[in-house]
Amino acid sequence: MHATLVALGGRSAWKGPFFVNFPRLREAMDKNIPIKTQARACTILPNFVGCRFLVHNGKEYLPVSITQDMVGHKLGEFAQTRKRFKYKSTKNR
Amino acid sequence: MHVLGILLPDSHLARHALQNFFGIGPKIAHRVCARMQIHDRCKVRDLTQQQQTALTAFLSSPTTYPVPQRVPLASLDFKGPTPSKPLLPSPPARPVSQVGSKDPLSTLKIETELRKEIRDNIQHQRMIGSYVGRRHAAHLPVRGQRTRTNAKIAKRLNSVERRL
Repeated sequence: MHATLVALGGRSAWKGPFFVNFPRLREAMDKNIPIKTQARACTILPNFVGCRFLVHNGKEYLPVSITQDMVGHKLGEFAQTRKRFKYKSTKNR
Repeated sequence: MHVLGILLPDSHLARHALQNFFGIGPKIAHRVCARMQIHDRCKVRDLTQQQQTALTAFLSSPTTYPVPQRVPLASLDFKGPTPSKPLLPSPPARPVSQVGSKDPLSTLKIETELRKEIRDNIQHQRMIGSYVGRRHAAHLPVRGQRTRTNAKIAKRLNSVERRL
C-alpha cells in the first residue's frame, strides 16, 4: 500500500489525518502540565512528542505520555476503556 | 520441484503451486507468472529450465530482482493510416513514466521476511502499550470480536510472538 495511506489508516489523502487543535500545547509542554482531553480519536502528531495527556476513558482521565513511537496512532489507543474481568466471591450469602 | 525448500508439486498448475509460499496468494501468483512468462495452464513439470532458474532467482530476493524493460509496441507519436471517416476523439495517453510507477512485485515479502515483519508490527504495538498490543498479549481478539463465546483462534494464536 502507499505510504501515506498507511499513515492515514484508509482515510482519504486530501483530508489528511484527523486531529484536534490543543491551543495550549506549547504552554503545556514547557511547564510539563498534562492536557486533559476527551478527544480519543485525535491522531498523535509529531509535535505532540514529549507532551503528557490525560485521556478520558469514559469514566476517568488516564495519564498518557507521548513518545516518538506513538506518532500516527490515536490518543484513545492508550487509554483502556474496559476493566479486566475478575471473579469476586460473594461475602453475604 | 523444490524452490527454496518449498515443494511445488509437479502435477499442479504453476500459479496454484506458487501459493504454497507464505505471502503469495492468487493475485501475486498471477503477477509472478506474468513476469516469468508462464502461461495460465502451465503445470510445474512443464516449466522450462530458464523459467525455473528465473523463479528461484526472483523468489530468493524479490526486491532486488530486475524489473523487465517495457517494450512499447509502437512509439508514442505513432500515427496510423488516416481512416476514411473521422473517429471519436481518443482520451489523452498516459506518459510511460506513470504507467509503471507502482510495481507490487518490487516490494514483495515472502516467508521468513514477511513473518518477521508481522512479528515486528505486533512487537511495536506491545512496546508502545496500545490497545492492539494489549489484546495480543492477553491472547484475545484484536478487532472487537466477541469473547463471551468463540474467539478460539485468537486464544490459540494471538500473542506477542504470534504463531504464523
